[in-house]
Amino acid sequence: MIQKEIVLLNKLGLHIRPAAQFTKIAAKYKADVYLIRDGMRVNAKSIMGVMMLAAGQGTKLALECIGEDEEQLCNELMALIENKFHEE
Amino acid sequence: MKSDPPATAGHSVETVLRGIPASPGVSIGRVHLLIAERVHVPPHKIAPSEVQRELERFERAVGQTRAAIERSRERALTVAGIAVGKIFDAHLMILDDVVFQQQVRARVEREQFSVDYIVNDVLGQNIEIMRKQPGETFRERAADIGDVLNRLLRFLRGEGDVMPQSFSEPVVLVAADLSPTDALHVDRHLIHGIATDQGGLTSHTAILARSLDIPAIVGLGNLSTQVHDGDSIILNCNSGKVILHAGAATLAEYRGKQERYLAFQSALENLKDLPASTTDGHEVQLWGNIELPFEAESVLAHGGSGVGLFRSEFLFLTRDTVPSEDEQFDTYGKAAEILAPRPLVIRTFDLGGDKLHGSINIKQERNPFLGYRAIRVSLSRRDLFRAQLRAILRASRRGNVRVMFPFISGLEELREAKAVLAEAAAELTRERIPHDPHVQVGIMVELPSAVMMAEQLARECDFLSIGTNDLIQYAVAADRGNEAVAAYYRSFHPGVVRMIDLTVKAGHKAGKPVAICGELGGNPVAAPLLVGLGIDEISTNSTNIPEIKKIVRTLSYEECRRIAARALRLDTAAEIQDYLTGELKKRLADLPIWFS
Repeated sequence: MIQKEIVLLNKLGLHIRPAAQFTKIAAKYKADVYLIRDGMRVNAKSIMGVMMLAAGQGTKLALECIGEDEEQLCNELMALIENKFHEE
Repeated sequence: MKSDPPATAGHSVETVLRGIPASPGVSIGRVHLLIAERVHVPPHKIAPSEVQRELERFERAVGQTRAAIERSRERALTVAGIAVGKIFDAHLMILDDVVFQQQVRARVEREQFSVDYIVNDVLGQNIEIMRKQPGETFRERAADIGDVLNRLLRFLRGEGDVMPQSFSEPVVLVAADLSPTDALHVDRHLIHGIATDQGGLTSHTAILARSLDIPAIVGLGNLSTQVHDGDSIILNCNSGKVILHAGAATLAEYRGKQERYLAFQSALENLKDLPASTTDGHEVQLWGNIELPFEAESVLAHGGSGVGLFRSEFLFLTRDTVPSEDEQFDTYGKAAEILAPRPLVIRTFDLGGDKLHGSINIKQERNPFLGYRAIRVSLSRRDLFRAQLRAILRASRRGNVRVMFPFISGLEELREAKAVLAEAAAELTRERIPHDPHVQVGIMVELPSAVMMAEQLARECDFLSIGTNDLIQYAVAADRGNEAVAAYYRSFHPGVVRMIDLTVKAGHKAGKPVAICGELGGNPVAAPLLVGLGIDEISTNSTNIPEIKKIVRTLSYEECRRIAARALRLDTAAEIQDYLTGELKKRLADLPIWFS
């Protein structure tokens, strides 16, 4: 299992479009992915789950990847977050 | 807001509420209350042998719902544009949520309840959680999930898609809020007005009501809890006033207002096929601004004689990848064919600034409005620019296509852009791909430096088009999206009026026509001024065309010129605006803008 602390730097946070980009990547992998915010843990392959986190700009989250391809998955998601979801 | 007065012996007292006028008109009728409560789906046990059948039912309903949402999305894009279309993109994402679908399948197998019950339970839980979150966004998301859930349940029950609308007489629809789907499928022959508790000017209900031409008021607070089916209701959607249980005198007053409004509208309808010429025979072209090819039809339906601004960057906004040359050719060609032989002015991509996109890597800038955008992006991304110009050259065989470069600050960019256009044409010739090498080339005049260089620029292109939105914001250095300085953004700033005047004179000196394609063109108060300054073409949202045409046809060119000359001598934005308003009111007392 890989666990990472992340901070959302993009303007929209995990609004529906960024959330869709996130879940699209998550769905490609076998590993399970979770996002955790203040004790709320959601399946990051679910767009409704991700939206439920109400994660706006500046939100701190924990990202958890569990499964055989967890490392590539984690890397791809981290790259998306670091590139601010290509918003700007 | 007043609450319901005590009703006495079955008689209700006239009550007035105020909301936000969202779509103009006056409607008088009976309330039809649309209650968007979640339906109750009882837990229905199934036999283990029925599990497979339930799962198949689910697959089928998901497929039908997806097709229905896609149809709604198409319709929304056609009638209301990208903002509303995007709502249905979100619905598709919700429907295709993998975890949701997995949960439904797993629970049907494990718990052996009907799939209707499980779907309702899973999505219902999501809705409840969203509703508990604070803020407008979550309320909207909850409504989106509710909308998808309702459609899915209807298909599971074999009831078909949209809400049934069979009223024996015209009604005024009252609801806490309309779901995007319900708003999209409102039948305007049966529903003469819409009044909702929630929503603002830019909510989907407001946008759709305007597009469908149904009078509407939104943001009424708690109207839906104060009325019952069949109550008498008046909506003055020009002012935002709702009157419940109106007495005879009020009813008569509003019947009068409604008649005046309808008379004005039908007078506009009669102008559809007439030219926009002044009483002394000076003709101005009224064109439409569009962002989707099909909107060209709406321009023609409103009596427009061409499209003066096709915002091509819409191709980027509905997807994540760069649009191909062939796709662009197809899109531009479609719009050109709808309009032919009338002109279609395609503005090359205006990306950057506030219109950023993932597929073009634009770095965050300290000052994006003074940064990398529009022609600057095109000139540095030659691959993209060339593909677009090739598509435009090819499409020009299918109609009267012109190309327009945005954000030109001086001759260098214009020359460089024209060189790329010439290269693209030479390539097509070499590749023996059919195209029309003689497309007209124009520029947007939206930077103060372009105003000062307008004559030289006009000599090297075929037409100028003033983009007032950006021109005003760059001229007065005020971002109108920034509330702290929005008051400085004045359309009638004397500096701006002079800039328009300079540009028109410069263009005409070079023998080239000058158009206006910003929001100012749709402002009735500005119309006599623009005509009087000598603007040749006014391009605006198609719904504004009939009213502007009415104004042009009522005035003489001579008086427009006098009005413009006088406006140029006034000192402040407020003076100019007051003067123009007064002049228009004198001549056209029945314009809907005066009804508030």
